[in-house]
Amino acid sequence: MNFSVPLLLLGFLVKSLQPANLLPKNTIFILARKTQVIGKMGGVDVEQVGIHAMADGEISAFLKKNSLALKVEECRKIVELLGRDPTLTEIHIFNIQWSEHSSYKSSKDTLKMLPTSGPTVILGPREDAGIIKFANVDGEQYGIVISHESHNHPSQVVPYEGAATGVGGNIRDVLCMGAHVISSADPLRFGNPFGKNLNKVKYIINQVVEGVAGYGNPLGVPIIAGDTYFNDSFDENCLVNVVALGIIKEKDIIHSAAPPDSAGHDIVIVGKATDYSGFGGAALASVILDADEEEFNKGAVQVPDPFLKNIIVRATEAVFAEIRKRGLALGFKDMGAGGIMCSTSELCDAGNMGGEIDLDNVPVALKDLPPYVIACGETQERFTWISPPEFTPTLLKIYNEDFELPNVAEGARAAVIGKVTGAKNYVLRHKGKIVCNAPVEVITRGIKYQRPGREHKRKFSEPNIPEPKDYNAAALSVLHHPNVASKASIFKHYDTEVQGLAVIRPGEADAGVQAPLPGKYPAVALSVDHNPKYSRISPFHGAVNAVAEAMRNVAAVGAIPYGMTDCLNMGNPEKPEAFRDFTESVEGLSVAAHKLWLKGKQDTPVPFVGGNVSFYNESTKDAQIDPSPIISCVGYLEDYRKAITMKLKQQGSKLFLIGDRKDELGGSAYYDLNQETGANVPNIDLESERERIHAVIDLIDAQLLESCHDISDGGLLTTIAEMVLGGEADGAFGAEIDISFSSLRPDKALFSESPGFVFEVKPENKEKVEHVLKTYGINPIELGTTTAGSKLVVGVGNKRIIGLENEQLKKAWTTGVPEAMK
Amino acid sequence: MKKVAIILFPGSNCEEESKRACESAGLVSDIIRWNEPKRCRAYDAFILPGGWSYEDRIRAGAIASHEGVMDAIKEESGKGKPVLGICNGAQILVESGLVPGNLSEQGKFQVELALAPNHNPFVSGYYCTWVNIKKASAKKTPFTSLVDDVFPIPIAHGEGRFVSSDASLLKKLEESGQAIFKYCTKQGSVIDEFPVNPNGSGNAIAAICNKTGTVMAMMPHPERASWMRQVPGMSSQGERAGPGRKIFESLREYLK
Repeated sequence: MNFSVPLLLLGFLVKSLQPANLLPKNTIFILARKTQVIGKMGGVDVEQVGIHAMADGEISAFLKKNSLALKVEECRKIVELLGRDPTLTEIHIFNIQWSEHSSYKSSKDTLKMLPTSGPTVILGPREDAGIIKFANVDGEQYGIVISHESHNHPSQVVPYEGAATGVGGNIRDVLCMGAHVISSADPLRFGNPFGKNLNKVKYIINQVVEGVAGYGNPLGVPIIAGDTYFNDSFDENCLVNVVALGIIKEKDIIHSAAPPDSAGHDIVIVGKATDYSGFGGAALASVILDADEEEFNKGAVQVPDPFLKNIIVRATEAVFAEIRKRGLALGFKDMGAGGIMCSTSELCDAGNMGGEIDLDNVPVALKDLPPYVIACGETQERFTWISPPEFTPTLLKIYNEDFELPNVAEGARAAVIGKVTGAKNYVLRHKGKIVCNAPVEVITRGIKYQRPGREHKRKFSEPNIPEPKDYNAAALSVLHHPNVASKASIFKHYDTEVQGLAVIRPGEADAGVQAPLPGKYPAVALSVDHNPKYSRISPFHGAVNAVAEAMRNVAAVGAIPYGMTDCLNMGNPEKPEAFRDFTESVEGLSVAAHKLWLKGKQDTPVPFVGGNVSFYNESTKDAQIDPSPIISCVGYLEDYRKAITMKLKQQGSKLFLIGDRKDELGGSAYYDLNQETGANVPNIDLESERERIHAVIDLIDAQLLESCHDISDGGLLTTIAEMVLGGEADGAFGAEIDISFSSLRPDKALFSESPGFVFEVKPENKEKVEHVLKTYGINPIELGTTTAGSKLVVGVGNKRIIGLENEQLKKAWTTGVPEAMK
Repeated sequence: MKKVAIILFPGSNCEEESKRACESAGLVSDIIRWNEPKRCRAYDAFILPGGWSYEDRIRAGAIASHEGVMDAIKEESGKGKPVLGICNGAQILVESGLVPGNLSEQGKFQVELALAPNHNPFVSGYYCTWVNIKKASAKKTPFTSLVDDVFPIPIAHGEGRFVSSDASLLKKLEESGQAIFKYCTKQGSVIDEFPVNPNGSGNAIAAICNKTGTVMAMMPHPERASWMRQVPGMSSQGERAGPGRKIFESLREYLK
């Protein structure tokens, strides 16, 4: 009796059923405990759960008992779609496929607002990862593959493993397009390390950072970008987003689909032996975290194995080389949420085929796993291949013999588990019985909700803060704020150098830069951004700012924004206010992407080629997180030799500012230090923002700038101080600036986070720079000069208000984050 | 044509860039898997690249040092063929006893050194940064004939602190000229404290070789400093040779 365990669980619900009207007369239900029942309808040989005859309350109890996140009405929908009662395995399948995480059921319609195509897109957000056009070198068109996902709930529950598997999942997504994975980035949001929940927050910070490092470092994927914010809205729900990049020749892309006419091809899975780990992971991502259920939730977090993954990646690259040599078409897909079931059903459906799988052929780590765990468990480090039978022996040999997977990790291997079929059904067998038999399209199609929205009643007002008496102290406290201060104590844990592709690494500039084609000059820049406090005040403007800052950051190294991804970390979509936050955020992204169009392509938006929606980011204890649409922007540089960093390069240069200082300190670090939130978030004039971004790219391309830095967290003063210090806080030059150009009170001029750029220009290039800016209609402000002394001096006309040695700046800026983590 | 074998262990992750660095220096190289020890004989020099062989179980490099392929490398090394271990490769060489390379009475390599967890007041555990190293010995090795006296190079490891249970061993290795590289300032001063010495390594030692100099264990990564593009602040110099390449160029000259 194979089903004794689940049947005991179900026992109280299983009852004799009368055939319902919607079911064919010949369906037999005898659902007594431990009694084998055969429902012939749909070719299903095992017990069906008598949903159709249950009252709503009984369904609710059944769902809770089985830890299923499905709703009662969704269960009824399953019966309707199948035309019969489902098996327990089928219920688990729909539980995952219809989770918010997998189905985007609440977000699909809203996301249509975002531009996803255009001249820089090779592949939009349809498969495991998007692909952005990269250089054409020696007649070969290359693409940058990008994936961007969240792993928030797992990281809150088991931070090391949650963060590590977040990195692992994104890397799988990029690899399975056939790409070589070149880098990753880690936007992180943590609670207040000095607040009421400080011990847990600090624990999570350190564990998440170790987890990101503990996966990417062994695998040999460098981290080239990231950002970190701390605030109390993340106390009970941290955010761990990961971006991964890969490089591929356009002609070598492997699609997540069974190839055309592939009936009879083998379904091969490769990787770790399947176990219980991560069972229910997609569902965990789709519920509100309840601290009381923390122990239970831990079981739904996947277990990372970067060591095994390292070898699988190398073996898989050997497979890529072999199939390219032979000119074969295979399908390849990562196994993430929903495990074997999701990966195989989507491969088959995308190729307009069906599939038949024998779950007994799946290598398992434990005996007697129930079929739905084998089918849906989220054991890490696994992939699915669709392989023509004549290639299968080679495929198995590469993994199992050349790279000896079975000797590297117990139970790991590549194994044939089924066949692609011409019939468009998805069939799972277990111990000789059919446990799932449904049209494959029914399994993959998902469902959709129209969620109502209602505006949040946000009450924010501008504070009346007295002017600081000591501007030196005010400047140092802003530099020391953990959201502004150097993140070196985080990214020094990460291997930024592995693969040898680094050009500009984290901390050196606003974006990381890599040269992914060894020996060639084209380069890719990557930045990740979003300031959560802006979105607390205004989800729309928070989203606009995220897009603008991400683009500014890649422009500040000289790269042209080519594409973006969005990971929308939001609250509970069933609450109208939270849903409205989501839709407003998407509106903001859309408006900004359209207005900040592709350089040289008027009215052609910078596209979003990938992303992820993560709802339910709230805990039962606390209110929801700040709406967090985290954006990554990929930039293209024709020649990395022209890329510049933020560090001042010489004395006697002119320092220019573009971007007016406005009274926009809402959500700023300065207000936060004064225990205020404020109301005036930067309200970006997108026309002039676009001109500034494009002008800076031209100036860097013309090699007229020595260094450049955007203005964001901490405002103008922070920008200048970071240019003086440089990423390693070892800058050799100082700066003297005059802020009398601004009519704002000096603290507002220095700490307002209105967007802009500051750049360093050799005196002999001043006129050329002004000429370029004029063509964009920009009037630069000459702020001051760089100096030999290691000192930052700020004056208002003749009155000096700040005079700080580099050592003082360094101390404030480099100790802020270590203190937050300690 | 002389050829270099780069050994891929389960968990290695620097094999490709090590191969590129070899090629940039005019060396012909192949990547050989751990389960192909018989191929070693056909090669003239060996590189054990960085990574996390066997996920650093027991101690970094400990399990790989017992792989069959290491027996083959010991045999080839016995013929005087050069062996360079970088980062995890250095850990494997130390765990196998090839460095410092003293034999027991039974004629077996003795494990006398270890690479212990970093001592670093800023970041605990794994640490990745750029440092400077200098040639700290006049000893001739196959890897150092062309290198600059002082040069920048990155490190990336959690266990890079050379230690020995024999308190006098590091001193003896210095005296015999086997402490090849030391961490230093940009100007070349050896300062035995953080951040100049990034991991608390004994006497600020960054690389140690055997008595004859043919086997060298170095923690910094020369293959990540083989193009000027890779050196922070120098990317405008593009694909020109970086300072780390001279390790590989020295090997090329030696193999001539």
